[in-house]
Formats: sequence, C-alpha cells, structure tokens
Amino acid sequence: MSLFRNPFNADTRLACACGRHASPAEHDRAQGLDAAQDRAVESAVMRALFPQDDLRRRFLRAVGSGTAMAAVSSIFPLALAKEAFAQSTGPLEKQKLKVGFIPITCATPIIMAHPMGFYAKQGLDVEVVKTAGWALIRDKAMSGEYDAAHMLSPMPLAITLGAGTSGAVPWTMPAVENINGQAITLAMKHKDRRDPKDWKGFKLAVPFDYSMHNYLLRYYLAEHGIDPDTDVQIRSIPPPEMVANLRADNIDGFLAPDPVNQRAVYDGVGFIHILSKEIWDGHPCCAFAASKEFVTRMPNTYQALLKSIIEATAYAHDASHRKEIAAAIATPNYLNQPVTVLEQVLTGTYADGLGKVIKVPERIDFDPMPWPSFAVWILTQMKRWGQVRTDIDYQKIASEVFLATDAVRLMREAGMTPPTTKDKTFSVMGKPFDATKPDEYLASFKIRRT
Amino acid sequence: MSKPFLDIQSLAKRYPQRDGNPGPPVFDEVSFGIDRGQFVCVIGHSGCGKTTILNILAGIDHASEGVVIMDGREIDGPSLERGVVFQAHALLPWLTALQNVAFGVRSRWPEYSRDKVREHSVRYLEMVGLGHALDKKPSELSGGMKQRVGIARAFAIQPKMLLLDEPFGALDALTRGTIQDELRRIVRATQQTVFMITHDVDEAILLSDRILLMSTGPHARIAESVDIDLDPDRTRSSLHHEPRYYDIRNHLVDFLVDKAAHPKETISS
Amino acid sequence: MRGEKPWGAPLLSVVILVALLLVWHAATRSTAGEAVVDAEYAALVGGAAASGGKTPFPGPMDVGVQLWQHLKDPFYDRGPNDKGIGLQLAYSIVRVLGGFLLAAVVAIPLGFLIGMSRTVYRAFDPFIQVLKPISPLAWMPLALYTIKDADTSAVFVIFICSLWPMLVNTAFGVGAVRQDWLNVARTLEVSRLRTAFLVILPAAAPTIMTGMRISVGIAWLVIVAAEMLIGGTGIGYFVWNEWNNLSIANIICAILFIGVIGMLLDTVLARAARLVSYRE
Repeated sequence: MSLFRNPFNADTRLACACGRHASPAEHDRAQGLDAAQDRAVESAVMRALFPQDDLRRRFLRAVGSGTAMAAVSSIFPLALAKEAFAQSTGPLEKQKLKVGFIPITCATPIIMAHPMGFYAKQGLDVEVVKTAGWALIRDKAMSGEYDAAHMLSPMPLAITLGAGTSGAVPWTMPAVENINGQAITLAMKHKDRRDPKDWKGFKLAVPFDYSMHNYLLRYYLAEHGIDPDTDVQIRSIPPPEMVANLRADNIDGFLAPDPVNQRAVYDGVGFIHILSKEIWDGHPCCAFAASKEFVTRMPNTYQALLKSIIEATAYAHDASHRKEIAAAIATPNYLNQPVTVLEQVLTGTYADGLGKVIKVPERIDFDPMPWPSFAVWILTQMKRWGQVRTDIDYQKIASEVFLATDAVRLMREAGMTPPTTKDKTFSVMGKPFDATKPDEYLASFKIRRT
Repeated sequence: MSKPFLDIQSLAKRYPQRDGNPGPPVFDEVSFGIDRGQFVCVIGHSGCGKTTILNILAGIDHASEGVVIMDGREIDGPSLERGVVFQAHALLPWLTALQNVAFGVRSRWPEYSRDKVREHSVRYLEMVGLGHALDKKPSELSGGMKQRVGIARAFAIQPKMLLLDEPFGALDALTRGTIQDELRRIVRATQQTVFMITHDVDEAILLSDRILLMSTGPHARIAESVDIDLDPDRTRSSLHHEPRYYDIRNHLVDFLVDKAAHPKETISS
Repeated sequence: MRGEKPWGAPLLSVVILVALLLVWHAATRSTAGEAVVDAEYAALVGGAAASGGKTPFPGPMDVGVQLWQHLKDPFYDRGPNDKGIGLQLAYSIVRVLGGFLLAAVVAIPLGFLIGMSRTVYRAFDPFIQVLKPISPLAWMPLALYTIKDADTSAVFVIFICSLWPMLVNTAFGVGAVRQDWLNVARTLEVSRLRTAFLVILPAAAPTIMTGMRISVGIAWLVIVAAEMLIGGTGIGYFVWNEWNNLSIANIICAILFIGVIGMLLDTVLARAARLVSYRE
C-alpha cells in the first residue's frame, strides 16, 4: 500500500513492489483515515521532489527526517496542501452522480463507498448502477449516462487511443480499484495437467480483450513457450458464463476476476491453478475511470468523488474489515453471490478446488495509486499483441491517462512543474520492467505480433 | 315524344385484351329509355354484359362509349339518386339489420336525428316484413331475410331510380316467390322507377312493365323490347291464370333458347 | 360427441403436468460424489462440491421454494439493483406497452395507406421486406449508439420489432375488404374518409387485431432479450442478475413468470379481437 507509507522514513521503500506491508500502514490506520490522506499528499510531494527514490533515501539518511520535513515545508506548503486536499476547493458542480460497476470483487471500493457513507460524507448523492458488461459500461460512460465508471485498467488507455471504439476520446484513470485478485482456474478434469507446456489446444477465456486478464494470461503462456494466438484459443466470455462454460466443457480454463474463480470451486466445477498475484504481485486490475471532460469541467465534484473512492479503498485495504465487506457486497443489490465465496476471496483463506485450504491474505488488495509505469507496461502489451499498431508516445499517454492528479494539481497550484512519471519498478514473472525503455522491453519477447 | 326519365344512348363497353389492345365490345349500340314509375327488366344469357350495364347505371363502372342521362342530366359516378340492391346482398356483417338500413338513411339525410333515423329505418324494415329481426346480425338471418334487408336499405333512401342486380338469384324457389310478391306490392305503392336484371322469366313477367331482351356478346345489344300489358294486380299465384301469360312466356323462352344463343344481328327497338 | 365431459381436458392437463414434474424430479436427484474432504474445506464450498461433485440442476422442490419466496413479497425495493419480481415485471410491461402502442400508432395508419393504394404498396414493399426479418438483438447496439439512453433504446427496439406484423396485417386486411361493401358505400355517396372509418376499418378489424396479437407476443419476447443486454430493471435484467449468481432455480422462476405474463397479454388481445370479429 505504497500511497499510505511514511515518505519521511528512510527505511521505507516508497517505490517498491507492494505486498510487503510495513507497520506505518497500520500506524496510519490507528490514526484514522485523515492521516492516510495526509500521508497521500506528503507521499506525492516527496515523490515529486525526488523522482528517483534512491535520492530521497540518501537525502533522508543525510539530514534526518525532522530536518527533511522542515526543509520541505519551507519550500512547499505541506500543511496547506494537506488542508487543501482534505477539503473540497469549491462548491460541487453536480451532486447526483451515476457510477456504473460490474459485479465483481474488483469493484469493492466503488460499491463500498455507498453503504459505508463515503460518498455522502463528501456531499455526493451517488447511485451505483450494476451494468451488464464491459462494452456496455464503456458505451454508457462514453455517452455520459454514467459520470464515472468501474473499468478494466487498460480500458481508459484503449478509449484514449481509439482502440476498439468508434472514436478516440480522452479518458482518465484517477485511481486503481484493486491490485491482484484474479486467478487462472482450470476444469476439474485437468487437475493432473498443470504444466502450461501441456496446454496446447486448450480453449481459454478472458472477460474482455482490453483487460489485465488477457495480458496476464498471454504473458504467462508466452513465458512457458505457448503462443497465445496459435497454440491455444483465447475467447472473451462474460464472467458469469465462464463457470457455466467450464461446466459444459466448452472451455478448459479461464483467467477471470473473482468471485468467478472461487465460484467455480464452490460449485465443484474447477480448481484454482494459480493466483494472478503469483504472476505479477501488485498488478493493477480494475480502475475507477472518468472522461477527461468530467475531470476538467467539474473539478470539485471530481475531487470529491475521488476522495470518497480513496477513503473506500483505504477501508477495504484494512484486513480487519474484509469479512464485513464480504457480507455487505454479497446482497442481490451488488454482487449477488453466496457470502462464503466472497469471504474466501477477500480474506484470502480459501478452498482451492483440490481438497486443500490455502491461506494467502494478499490474494486481493486495494491500492488506488495509478502508477504511470503500469500504463506503460499495458501499452507495451497492447502493442505486443497487435491491439495497437501505430507508434505511440508511451510516456505522454501514460501521464495523460493515469493521473497522479492530486499530486499534479497540488504541484501546479504551488507553482511548481509537475513531476515526470516512471516511479514504480516491478517484475512480471521474475523479469524486471523498466518503464523508460518500453521498446526494448517489447523487443525482448520471443512471442509477439509486432 | 318527350324524353324518358332515364335515357341510355349507344352504350358500349370494351375491355383491353391481354396484349393491351382493346378487344371487341361486350356490348355496343345499347340504347333504351325508362319512364318514371316504370319497372323494366333485362333478360339475357350470362356474358352479355347485363351486370355491366347495371354497374354503369349505378355509377361504379364507366362505359367505353355512349351516355346515360337521368332526369335531364348526364350521370357521373355513383349517386344516392340511384339506389342499388346487389346480387349478394352486400350487407355489412358487423352491423345489425337495423344498423345496415340506418347506414343508408344516415348517408342520405345526415341532418336527421338519431331517433328520426331509427324510426325511418324501422318503417322500411317493417315494410319488408322484418320488424321482428331488427337487432339481428346478417349471420343470424336466412338468405331471404338478408336480401330483404338489402331491399329495405335501397328503398329507405327513396332513390329516384332503383337498380336490382339479380336480387333473388341466390334464394330458393319458395322464398323467392314470397319476396317477389312483396316487391311488387312495395313498388306499386311507392311508384318506384326500377331497372332489374334477372334470369327468371316468370319473375320478369310478374314484376315488369317492360322486358328488354339482350343478345349474347360480343357485340351484344338490345334485341327486343316486350311490353307486359297484363293485369296490374297480378300476383305470383294468379299469374299463370292470365290469358296472355303463356304467349309472352313462350316468346321469351324462344328468344333465350334460340336467338340469344346465336349472336346474330336483330332489330333493336 | 356423446357424453363428452367438460372436465376432460383440464384433467388431462393436470396429469401431463404431474408427469413432467415427476420426470424432472427424478432427473435432478443430487449427483453427490464419493470423495471425502476435511470439514474445514467442506465448510468453504457448496454442498455438492464438498463431496466431490458438481452443483446440480435444481429440482422442482428447489424451484418451488424460490417461487414462494418471490410471491411472498413481490414488490420490495432495496435499491436500484435489487427489486421484487412484481416491480421488475411492471417495468418490463410498461416498456412493452410503450413500444407496442407507439408501433400501433404508426403501423395502423401506414398499413391503411398501403392497403388502399397499389402504388403506395409497391413503393413501401422493398423497405418492409428488408427491415422485417432483422432481429431485435441486431437493432439493440444501433439503438444504444444513437439514442444512448438505455430505456429509450429498449422501447425503440420493441417498437421496430412489433411494427411489422401490425403493418403487414393491416395492409392485408385493408386490401382484402370485399369490393361489394365498398360499392355499397360508393352508391350511398359516402365520403372516402367516412368509408375508411365506417366500412374499411370494421371490415379489416379482425385482421388488424390478429396482427396486434402477434406483435404483442413479439414485443414481450424482445423485451426480455433487450433487458438482458441493457440491465437496470425489468424481468430480463432479473434473469441476467440471477445468471450472475448461477441461480438456475431463480431463472426457472423467471421463465415461468415470463410465460404467464406473455399468456396474459395474449389473452387480453384475444378478447379484444373477439369484440371486433364478425361472421359473414
């Protein structure tokens, strides 16, 4: 949960793969959510000042955290910034909002903000509307029927590039909904055939073409020497139909968002082969997305909405809340699933379908930071598989779509230039990703379409 | 001689052939007159164009040549002045007997109040003996009753001229007899001018003042006009006691069997 | 037929129903597996999976229980995504009636024009022939793209699909009015407008009503499909929501409700058709 780490602690790594919680996070929790927000602002400022995390740590070791805080405060009004972020900067342009969501566990922050009152706290009257599918949610968001929507993290990029839509519309992703939280599930009959090299001829399903699921599955297959376009068949199938298709033997497996994986286990139809966390720990999955028009035309409403989402995300991140959340979102109004299925997903203590009970507490986690390096990785994969065929300016698109908006805006208001991106490095299946060299990364893959 | 009330002059009807050229006329040079109050029948074989002549008189068909003048004016299209009783009663099946007649009455006198329309219609239905069947739909009436409603409707609009197209062709002999008597009674009481087409020789002799004999087409024409100067009070039962009845009848039958069957030129009168 | 009992047919229906239920019950007895799993695991999975099997197709008892749940409280409203079955059906019916009536208002006058004039008929015929067979599911994306609003799109799709039977039947009924009746009106010097209302309309009414009956059946069919695509409210959305939960029992309940409402709509129109029918 890197956004909520203490940036003034030389020992914390702000820019490292998440999933290894340091105690400052718990410390923040104890102090309440306002502290989390303060931390968010401080984090953003520090990150902006020291884009290279190494530099920040050396600086802190050199001067000590107390001096560092004073020094930074003298050149940047941290207190003011925190206050500014804590309150809305003006009257809300629009109070009644419609936010669409797809009934999967990734949407937990968007859904939770409703019954937990986070929207109301910001003065918003938000109606969370269950939507039938990704294409529909995209269309309704683009047509303006939804003010903001739950989307797959590649979707804002695709919409901005005009891939898969009738026209390019600038879209933004102010926050990531969740990280991890997916899995590869296979049909019961394949329980002795778990080496991907044996999967030639398999029919596999993903929820949507422009999804982390598609890219993760393809990456996983390619790393094992399977070409995802010629050796197997990958189809887009709506999540509820995945379990039914698995049961009917139409597909051999899928990489899907939860609760679909756990539901397959619950119904005795499949088993969980591998969690997505084991492919790329800390990968983004779903996003909270809004059109650039919404962000620029209604900045106060946008900020209020974003704040409620951040609060909800922090609440969901807290492991002690997970059981309560599972019970709240299981109702027919939201996910409409048996409570135990959601509990297993959210708490990470689950049945794997092969008779074992497994405990992985970070099976799903919630961190809103839209790292631009995520965007660059997604863009490389979109190019890798031929979804985008033109040359693109990775950094530009990443920074325009994946907004570290609060930091950017606060910086601008203080008269400073916005920070450049590329602030989180990570590895996927052991292979490190350098967001400054996307083309080399792309070229390093044997299996690709470009 | 003063002009007759209905004056038909040189009527002819041609239909286009399949290749588009006009064919030979079904009938041509058809000319005759009908005086006011006269009952004229036309007899001839099928295909000589009798119904076509009637349709032209009714205004729902047009002649290829010739003209029809009624009461000094050339006719042009259908008119309430020429009421029609169609071959197959043509009652509107969703309306009751009373409503059917009222339909005609209201078309003739749109200014009538509802009560007046009803009273007028009931009068004519009673005249044809259907006072007890006012609210029955046509499907609930026998063939004879349906035809009587048609007659009531035609009479109710009090047209200057009544056109009847084989009105009793579909009825059985007994019913036919009864209605014929009724029709004669009503026509004489109202002094209605009537033009009727029929196949039934006896019926023609009973009802008409004059019978027109048509030859067969193509080029059909009025071969002969026979005056019927029998007892004006004749009825169905008394008809065959008339001394000249069989003469007239034989003459007509001879024509139908012999001359009408052979499309030769004959004198028209 | 001598001695035909009036209760013969209903009794036979009941017998068939009972037979079907028995067959269904027998076919869905649980497919419990033989595997033994530990208690903690068993607690985390569904009943069938706990013994190594797959969750089975629900039997008539399960469906019956769900049916009762729905009928007990059909009009509850617990938020935009969770409403009682009565409310969902009401939403669907309103949309159907909206699209259907709109279609009637367009189809019947247009059908009249087409039926009365050969030229107009020939002019419109190619369009009708091409548009008639288009499936509602093909119209849906087009509607969403142009109209954008989901509810209006659903009503539009109902409209465009229930238009054709009414249009074709009206045109046919009007064109097939007996010439005799039209001649009666002509000889009575009835104006064209009065003829249209007093003669042609009642004469064509049974055929028009038949067209309406067919249309309402199609409209009801289409709304379920349309609502599954657009979500929100309605019986189609209910089916999709329960599909998400893989609750086959609820889906069967929904199917029963859909069938019953479809039957009611058809009955209403059949009654109306009887009012305007006549025997020649």
